[in-house]
Amino acid sequence: MSRVFDYLLYLFAWGSGLILVGAFAVFMGFLLSQGLPALDSSLLFGRTGMVDALLLQRVVIDGLLPALVGTLLLIFLALAAAVPFGLGAGIYLAEYAGKSSKALFSLVFDLLAGVPSIVIGLFGFSLTVFLHKRFTFITPCLLISALALALLILPYLIRSTQTALEELPATLRLTAAALGADQATTIRLVLLPQAAAGILSGIVLAIGRAAEDTAVIMLTGVVVSAGIPRSLFNSFEALPFYIYNAASQFSNQQELQRGFGAALILLILCGLLFTLAWLLRKKVTARLLYHH
Amino acid sequence: MRPEAQVSRILFLAATVVGVLLTLAILWFMVRLGLPLFSTHSLRLLLTQDWAPDRGLYGIFPFICGSGAVVSLSLLLAFPLSLGNAVLIHLLAPRHLARILYQMVKMMTGVPTVIYGFVGIFLLVPLVREWFSRGSGMSVLSAGILLALLIAPTMILVFLESFAAVSTSHLRALEALGGTRRQKLVHVILPGARRGIITGFLLASGRAVGDTMIALMVAGNAVATPESILDPVRTLTAHIALVMAADFDSMEFKTIFACGITLYLWTAILTLSLRFLHFKATKTSMQVGHEQSF
Amino acid sequence: MGDNMAWCTAKRGQVWFIFTALLLLLIFSGPVAESVGAEPLAAFNGQSGMLRISGGTAHIPVLKEVAGLVMQAHPGIQIALSGGGSGAGIKQVGEGLVDIGNSGRKPTDNEIKKYGLVLNCWAYDGVVIVVHPDNPVKALSRAQLQDIFRGRLTNWQQVGGADKAIAVFTRDEGSGTRKVFSKKALMEKEITNKSLVVASNGAMKAAVSHNPGAIGYVSLGYLDESVAPVALDGVEPSLANVQNGEYTVVRGLYSNTRGEARGLSKSFIDFLFSPAGREIISRNGLIPASR
Repeated sequence: MSRVFDYLLYLFAWGSGLILVGAFAVFMGFLLSQGLPALDSSLLFGRTGMVDALLLQRVVIDGLLPALVGTLLLIFLALAAAVPFGLGAGIYLAEYAGKSSKALFSLVFDLLAGVPSIVIGLFGFSLTVFLHKRFTFITPCLLISALALALLILPYLIRSTQTALEELPATLRLTAAALGADQATTIRLVLLPQAAAGILSGIVLAIGRAAEDTAVIMLTGVVVSAGIPRSLFNSFEALPFYIYNAASQFSNQQELQRGFGAALILLILCGLLFTLAWLLRKKVTARLLYHH
Repeated sequence: MRPEAQVSRILFLAATVVGVLLTLAILWFMVRLGLPLFSTHSLRLLLTQDWAPDRGLYGIFPFICGSGAVVSLSLLLAFPLSLGNAVLIHLLAPRHLARILYQMVKMMTGVPTVIYGFVGIFLLVPLVREWFSRGSGMSVLSAGILLALLIAPTMILVFLESFAAVSTSHLRALEALGGTRRQKLVHVILPGARRGIITGFLLASGRAVGDTMIALMVAGNAVATPESILDPVRTLTAHIALVMAADFDSMEFKTIFACGITLYLWTAILTLSLRFLHFKATKTSMQVGHEQSF
Repeated sequence: MGDNMAWCTAKRGQVWFIFTALLLLLIFSGPVAESVGAEPLAAFNGQSGMLRISGGTAHIPVLKEVAGLVMQAHPGIQIALSGGGSGAGIKQVGEGLVDIGNSGRKPTDNEIKKYGLVLNCWAYDGVVIVVHPDNPVKALSRAQLQDIFRGRLTNWQQVGGADKAIAVFTRDEGSGTRKVFSKKALMEKEITNKSLVVASNGAMKAAVSHNPGAIGYVSLGYLDESVAPVALDGVEPSLANVQNGEYTVVRGLYSNTRGEARGLSKSFIDFLFSPAGREIISRNGLIPASR
């Protein structure tokens, strides 16, 4: 009887392993086989010369460059808006908050982390319309999208900062206190440098989140074609939206090919960020092991 | 305390408060903008009626069902799959293979959902259409399968973490008594990791509820309440995306705030149950006297 | 310190490398897009800034081409083009979120009055019933069409096709194409709530071209070999039949502005009525309209 059970257990575990690996392999294989042929310079620059495109002399019409630049700008702006608040709140939760306020605040941030991105997009859009009635120059645009994305990644930043600080060995704090450093100094000179790798890996993961999200920007200013944005109040293109759009309404094989190319580029971008986060994380773990 | 220390403390607190206020502002906006809806349509009608703007019906019931169907199916597929993989990586696979699998699973958590949707349209939807030779392939089933792939890695990682946290003393004792790996799993690991398993399940279901792109791209977005897994459906998230793109300032548009509130509350309930679970966990573990970390 | 120095030198080396590479690129820079007769675009001379256009998706192929021409000839001008459907186009231009709002139906009197819209109808278009190219069914009566879209006929066999389930595709409620199709082809008969919903003409074409059992409807301008048109009551949905009035599921394509168009919006809309613009409109399978 137990033999049979053992057997079934093995079958079940290996079976699920096989399914997962198989599904992932088929998924990647399909994407690579369709996307790799599309990867060349015309994928990014379309029919426009590379230098002209990069120097903004000419507009890229059939290439991914504007979408790629749009995504990078989005990431940068979202980070610029979210990091100060994320670090600040993370430090507060880890170092200052009392027991009950900490519980309450982290609950709220858990709630925020759970809010679906489309709801954050809806919030961003409503806020824009609300503001537009008072300041007519505010319309859905790069800035609004970036701010909405910042709200999306904020809880990740808070959580990773908080964890990175709390993971530090207690001896660090005790030693600093014994040397007569006050709390602010301890945080600035001792704890933050020690937690830097952990915090950075959190930031990198947040970048990945900002790079891939489609639902937020869909409602707050991304468009099918706009060229490289020249101001924060411009509409913009972005890779994930480009992919969505290519999938649902490609009008010829070429456009579909570009969609696959875009998917591959986004995947590579996310993969790189992910590896970076993993390396940073490894560094942290190594240091923690050393301290224990 | 020195004044500058005081200043930095206040700055950190301010950052925290801003975050909290924004979280509340989201809900406030949804309610505020959805409110006009309730003056003409009772909550009950809104939650139970069909969606047929031509006939003056603006109920979001079909979309709640749509989200429910897609999420349930994805959990139904992903839960055993994740459990099996977690067991495989933790216990059964040779160390070498387990490492590779583990890295693959971690990598999978980074795959953008829009790419799942993209591949789904061209690979999975035609397959589903041909296998069942019925309907269009855009269905609860297609969306469920893709969502399962999306959430399984998260679940597996949480499961593994909780497996690893199971007290080693019990395991050693069992090993000393000559217990088999199955006994280890059934009598020590799974019971010990029960809470972690529930955590993984809840986290993953939150992710599934909140996903927009997969359902929008492969579920077909029909407004009927689904009756089979081969039926096309529209989820709450996809409804927001569709109406939002197509309209604003109309009756249709106002209903998406009802969808927004529903989603906010749905995920909030999941978060709260997670909290409750861990709250109970710390309480009992304090009573028993050993710590279990999540 | 020593490390720092080494890094500086390395960096300087890098800068030189990049500089040389850029120089080489400049000299041998790739093909520059062919410029198109600048004359029709003269109205845009001296203008710059961003023009936002959104709404009806039947308009997109034409507008995309025009936008490309304008942006290539005048790099200082950026044109942001997005879909969303007629409902979105009308409301967004009305609220001032975009400069030009497209609609594939005439805005209602209510909408015109509320937002002070100025309508510019620059093309006539037919709404065409389409199926997968492999589908042998190439003609339907109006009654059959209505029954298919109401969900009463569910298999192609029932209308003389193969034994295959019918997948009905429709557009969201904000779509002008849907409004016109529903009014002039279905005679206001309802559309089954089991039908699959897509968000644009492009998405409709892509969906139908990939599904052997599909039926849907698109703008005449989107018709190509990837989908097959279906004759309605014996009338082929061709450009000629739209023009001579035989095919009745027709509509105008509007680009609306709030108040009279000014600046970039004006030049852009004027271009659509210019000979060059009309040429692009015809090339995209639509019938150019005069003011």
